[in-house]
Amino acid sequence: MSKLTLAIPSKGRLMEQTTEMFARTGLVVRKVGHARGYRGEIDGLPDVDVAYVSSSEIAEALKAGSIHLGITGEDLIRENISDADTRIGFVHKLGFGFADVVVAVPDCWIDVATVADLEEIAMPFRRLHGRWPRVATKYMNLTRRFFASKGFGDYRIIESAGATEGAPAAGTAELIVDITTSGETLRANGLRVLNDGVILRSQANLFASKVAAWSPALQSVCDQIAANLAKSVPQPANSK
Amino acid sequence: MTTETTRDFGALEKQTQTLMSVFTKASYEAVAPTILQPADVFLDVIGESLRARTYVFTDLDGAELCLRPDLTVPTCRLHLARHADPRTPARYCYSGAAFRFQPQGADAAHPREFHQAGIERYGDTEREAAEAEVVATVVRAIEKTGLKDWSLRLGDLGLFSSILDVAGLSPLWKKRLDDAFLRPLAFRDSLKAFASDTDATRLRVPDTLLSSLKRSDLAASEAAIGAYLEENAIELIGTRTLSDITEHLIGVAEGREEKPLDSTAADLIGRYVGITAPARTAGAKIAELINGAPSGSAAALESYDRRIALLANAGIDLDRVTFAAEFGRTMAYYTGLVFEVRAKSLGPQSPIATGGRYDGLMRAAGASVDVPAVGAAIHTERLMTATLGASS
Repeated sequence: MSKLTLAIPSKGRLMEQTTEMFARTGLVVRKVGHARGYRGEIDGLPDVDVAYVSSSEIAEALKAGSIHLGITGEDLIRENISDADTRIGFVHKLGFGFADVVVAVPDCWIDVATVADLEEIAMPFRRLHGRWPRVATKYMNLTRRFFASKGFGDYRIIESAGATEGAPAAGTAELIVDITTSGETLRANGLRVLNDGVILRSQANLFASKVAAWSPALQSVCDQIAANLAKSVPQPANSK
Repeated sequence: MTTETTRDFGALEKQTQTLMSVFTKASYEAVAPTILQPADVFLDVIGESLRARTYVFTDLDGAELCLRPDLTVPTCRLHLARHADPRTPARYCYSGAAFRFQPQGADAAHPREFHQAGIERYGDTEREAAEAEVVATVVRAIEKTGLKDWSLRLGDLGLFSSILDVAGLSPLWKKRLDDAFLRPLAFRDSLKAFASDTDATRLRVPDTLLSSLKRSDLAASEAAIGAYLEENAIELIGTRTLSDITEHLIGVAEGREEKPLDSTAADLIGRYVGITAPARTAGAKIAELINGAPSGSAAALESYDRRIALLANAGIDLDRVTFAAEFGRTMAYYTGLVFEVRAKSLGPQSPIATGGRYDGLMRAAGASVDVPAVGAAIHTERLMTATLGASS
């Protein structure tokens, strides 16, 4: 039978934590061939092909259905897949890779604490500076959806490729939408999260692609992995 | 319908020619603005929500472009390019493709790529006359293509502002309500919240500092804010200046002095927004509301009545016309009259034509002044479907 493809992050903390987590569940993931290669397997599960892929490409591959399972952050799934709930199954929350996607403004904006305040300053800002406030972010879709849900539309998105936190001080944007774990980087850059500015509390998940080619046999392999995870990575009671 | 066969294409072309001949006979000059447009103007006018329904992309030079989501903004830009004084009166008509992203996938009534035929009038100082002429011309063009079962729905965003004047509101409340009106989903809640005194301050600025700020002494107020930042070791970063922040805080302080929204006024506004009636009787209903208000005024209604009379004069059968006070709130750039033409066979989700007054658009597109502007566009594929349905 054809194999089940499981994609796991190819580098960084996310890769290490994924490997550790699988080990704790009794599933030993090892690389096949060269240590710097990008293929792997799981001991005792011969029907699983492991692919080491970058986190954002995992989201794309799940969306396209070219892999069955993948481990990546919910932020990347929500950002890159407009119909995530129909294409993607949330199999298991993994309890690491925590990151909040937040709206942050310069701390010196003592007149701004909520999105409603942003709305109030947008028009005077435009009068004085000749443009809408700019939001630097790599999360263009999450940003747009979040502000739309708050009825706020008077801003412009500036796509940011990296070091987003530096944009306000550098004068290339007025505020940012970015991920934060402890808030330390934001503080170091003179930024503060709005009171109602948490867009998404993200963590690493095991996701299933609903548009991949599934067979009953592959489904049972998936169930087996999920069952192993359930034993050693309990889900928070309020998880959806 | 799609026009991927020659026969369908031909039928649509023929219909478009009929529409355009009505427009050009009414002295509208045929123009063909470009399909590729700078995304800037659209993003400024419609906001970032544009990205949710438009094909926006970056070209190899890094310029942000879009496939035009309508032909109104492109026609504005064309007018600005031609005339040093944007208030120069002009009439344009056009037909061409427009493009919109459909999040749930395209369907027959909501294709990604569709055609619009429309008219735009700029620089007319006789407002109601221009509006009635645009409505009548569009209806006449639609009838010429063979559709008989149309109905017309009117709204008036300017009238809401007038009602606020009538209710005797302070400028602050007027502005808040004007903004809230454009967010229909939250409007009822906002109205309720405004009328109760629950808007506690959410800022961490100390009360004493806030109440020490004075518009009459900006320099001292600014110095006080500067000192506060310094004391708390908050660095001033970014493009907003100390004076930007101070001025907004002064506004916040003034807003806190303001009493909650008067409950009579809230009630009046709530009842106005609920009005949906045949165009003939809507005027009387609004008049009734206004007479019961603290300071009654007929001014708000004059332009409504004049417009209705002009429509009747232009041969519009008023029995087919309804007025809905809340209609038009979600439509991007309109500022006064809004209208849509519906066909019985297509239902309310698929109007065959929409239009209205949009006096602020020309300025957003680069003009130095507001320019009176009225226009409308016909969704030609829908019109085709409606006329075919009517004849079969």
